[in-house]
Amino acid sequence: MQELVNAVAEMMEEQAAALTKKYLAEGVAPLEILNAYKEALAIVGKRFEEGSYFVPELILAGEMMKHAAELIKPHMGDGKGASGAKKVGKFLLGTVEGDIHDIGKDMVHMLMEINGFEVRDLGVDVPAKRFCDEYRDFQPDIVGLSGLLTLSYDSMKAVVDGLKEIGVRDKVKVIIGGGQVDERACKYVEADAWVTDAVAGLKCALQWIEH
Amino acid sequence: MIVIGEKINGTRKQVAHAIQERDADFIRDLAMRQYENGATYLDVNAGTLPQHEPEDMAWLVEIVQEAAPEAITCLDSANDKALRAGILKTAKTPMLNSLSGEQFRIDTVLPLAREFKTELIVLPLDDSGIPRTRDGRMDIVRRLVTLTREAGLPDEKLFIDPLVMAIATGTENGNITLETCRSIRAEFPAAHLTCGLSNISFGMPLRGVLNQAFMALLIQAGMDSVIINPDDRELRGIMMAAETLLGRDRHCMNFNRAFRAGKIGPKPTS
Repeated sequence: MQELVNAVAEMMEEQAAALTKKYLAEGVAPLEILNAYKEALAIVGKRFEEGSYFVPELILAGEMMKHAAELIKPHMGDGKGASGAKKVGKFLLGTVEGDIHDIGKDMVHMLMEINGFEVRDLGVDVPAKRFCDEYRDFQPDIVGLSGLLTLSYDSMKAVVDGLKEIGVRDKVKVIIGGGQVDERACKYVEADAWVTDAVAGLKCALQWIEH
Repeated sequence: MIVIGEKINGTRKQVAHAIQERDADFIRDLAMRQYENGATYLDVNAGTLPQHEPEDMAWLVEIVQEAAPEAITCLDSANDKALRAGILKTAKTPMLNSLSGEQFRIDTVLPLAREFKTELIVLPLDDSGIPRTRDGRMDIVRRLVTLTREAGLPDEKLFIDPLVMAIATGTENGNITLETCRSIRAEFPAAHLTCGLSNISFGMPLRGVLNQAFMALLIQAGMDSVIINPDDRELRGIMMAAETLLGRDRHCMNFNRAFRAGKIGPKPTS
């Protein structure tokens, strides 16, 4: 299985797919294969943080993982495929009203899903009311608000105010993300945490879920 | 090339601090240096929380104008109140950054451009986002140019941005921008083309090298203006070289004069 971990971590797309097929044909448990991918993605994330991997490596790793999930799907008993594995938590995600940036949000979506979160992605330019409606329906552990514009801070604050209004602010963690967010924005929005890249967001979410 | 200096932007930490502390010297220095390094236009983005933005914009414009009276301000905001506050402080008619296909910008920015007869940056995106193809972007450009013409703005006042998306997130993103440039150039020859080219290298190593290569490709595709850090000496060298090589520099005089003035090439050691 180490061979597969290495193939994914070293960005060997074809080799990773071939090994996945080979293991499946040999009857290796799908979960064991998925774990190898997870281990590889942790290495990719670490290299990203250390500055030897960059955004393209994160995206390619995500694509390899998606491809693997498709290969594994027919081998999963419950028919739900890779997503049938036990979920660690629920994550409600969207780019806030007035902002249409989606690169960071999409990366967060991918990383959260790979790491076992059930993700509901509301897309871009999402009004505060919609976050609250979806909160009621989905009951997430964490709400992730993405935005790159300074105008977005008011929209983020409106979501937090909305969560207060429906009386759930203390039941949910709120994280804001975007290239420009900082401590000041976090205080203004009254979020629980702020991050400027997707990997940092994932780390923060995993810490919250573990505690 | 028409250079729009990007540095007076409140989303940058130091600038945000200077705005908050009303540190006029810091802003003055940014404006002067960019102008001396060849920026014709100076982008001014207060980037502050909406309730302070009009006041901050007015303050910035006043200082920038005093520091670089020959430069034209490029007022950069999604907030029409901030744009208006800036316009009312300018002596020279400013450029507005920007109009897009988003309905709120059509409703708020276009009337300002019409009222004050400003130059205008035009972005091919709308309420459903940024189209991933040249055709999608051209549809929006055509729609917006129809509107600006109806508003009485000649095409010469438009700076159309083909939009630059990170190559890190899409292998074709460079080509989409370049193809869009060529189409705009062919269909609207009187309009200018501009872009914030450093977006191309977001999320990548060696961003400077990627930016330089993209600069040369953009100029070949018809770009005649860029929103950059004018103090970037390497980028300026590539920009001038590309223009010279593409026959936009008669007898290479711009390039050679810039060399003699020490504006490009290895920095003279003192």
